[in-house]
Amino acid sequence: MSTDRETTRFVRSWLEEGVTALPDRVLDAVLDQVPATPQRRRFWSAWRPNQMNLYAKLLAGAAAVLLVAVVGYQFLPGRGLDSGGPTVAPSPTSAALLARGTFKLYGADVDLNATGGGDSVTGTMTVSHEDGDFSVDLKCSRTTEDGVILIAGDITDSASPHARKGARELIVLKPGSPVYASFDSEGRAGGDVMPAASCPALLEQVIDTGTQTVIGPNGLEPIDGTVELAP
Amino acid sequence: MDTDLVIRAQRGDEEAFASLAVAVGDRLHAVSHRILRDIDLAEDATQQALLAIWRDLPKLRDPARFDAWSYRLLVHACYAEGRRTRQWAPNLRILPVDESVGPDASGSVADRDQLERGFRRLSIDHRAVVVLHHYLDLPLEEVAETLGVPIGTVRSRLHYAMRGLRAALDADARPARQEAVK
Repeated sequence: MSTDRETTRFVRSWLEEGVTALPDRVLDAVLDQVPATPQRRRFWSAWRPNQMNLYAKLLAGAAAVLLVAVVGYQFLPGRGLDSGGPTVAPSPTSAALLARGTFKLYGADVDLNATGGGDSVTGTMTVSHEDGDFSVDLKCSRTTEDGVILIAGDITDSASPHARKGARELIVLKPGSPVYASFDSEGRAGGDVMPAASCPALLEQVIDTGTQTVIGPNGLEPIDGTVELAP
Repeated sequence: MDTDLVIRAQRGDEEAFASLAVAVGDRLHAVSHRILRDIDLAEDATQQALLAIWRDLPKLRDPARFDAWSYRLLVHACYAEGRRTRQWAPNLRILPVDESVGPDASGSVADRDQLERGFRRLSIDHRAVVVLHHYLDLPLEEVAETLGVPIGTVRSRLHYAMRGLRAALDADARPARQEAVK
């Protein structure tokens, strides 16, 4: 029987074999596509104060003065926040619908109910399948430029070999008629969604790779049922 | 990596990116080939990773972390290729470990073939850890950071991957030994 050290040495030696040079044609193909491939920029980087020109600074200053004036007006006697008169408590507003429905996907019955958006999603998804059921506490969402909605959360309960309790689960919904959808588990052996540091990081990773937003045999499939999606 | 080159490419300098791509292309391709074990898939994965690097460079907050970040995008691209082709085994399968002769220390063709088959049985999760640690010599902490998983997960994956490779070598070597006894 080989020892761990022998195996490690052998694996290291074996990994040294094989190609090490990227063919020029591949590099050329990349560089040919660069001019037509726009870079993605963060919102905040475009709006950092030190990048503002004088005109933008003046506008921002005027907006700040206006804001102070409006807020101050609310505090005048008989106005707004501290009028001393009867107050009306803000009525609880129902969080905005993100996705709600009951449908079949990949042979499983899915019950989805999510409100909110971004990093503040509330809701659950339960998946019932002959291999085992699981539930997901939904936490975050993203919407791609072409309107595909991705929602993820923590698997809180699972009797399914496809969904490990404690891992994150992801559902992707493409609006249309019919709605297309797919789901996958983070870090599932042989799966395609790599583990990520957080719920939003998981979704951004999936959007970056683009693998979950493609219609096809291994991607999005039409659902059987109904789902109401955020406009 | 030359951080000045990275910063220029972040700002949209295509010539800087071309220099960057030349500088990292071979290394990325060597890694993708070792993870995917297929030259065509590796070329596609490397191409996609390089384009993703260009596209997302402005999002990289710390140019000094370029290397780890680029490996992360490369592993994502390897996942995508794996998904596209669906050539992967669904789970890591550990073959039974039995008493047998070990791998030829000199690395015979038969041993390399056995190792190849054992490696192909691993999921991309496990392959990536083995390649980043044993080929790139990244410490486990850096492997964890690169893949965005806890260090414990990396240790666990490495343990099971190496155990699987060792079992493959041992199990596949056994018939050869028995054959030799006859």
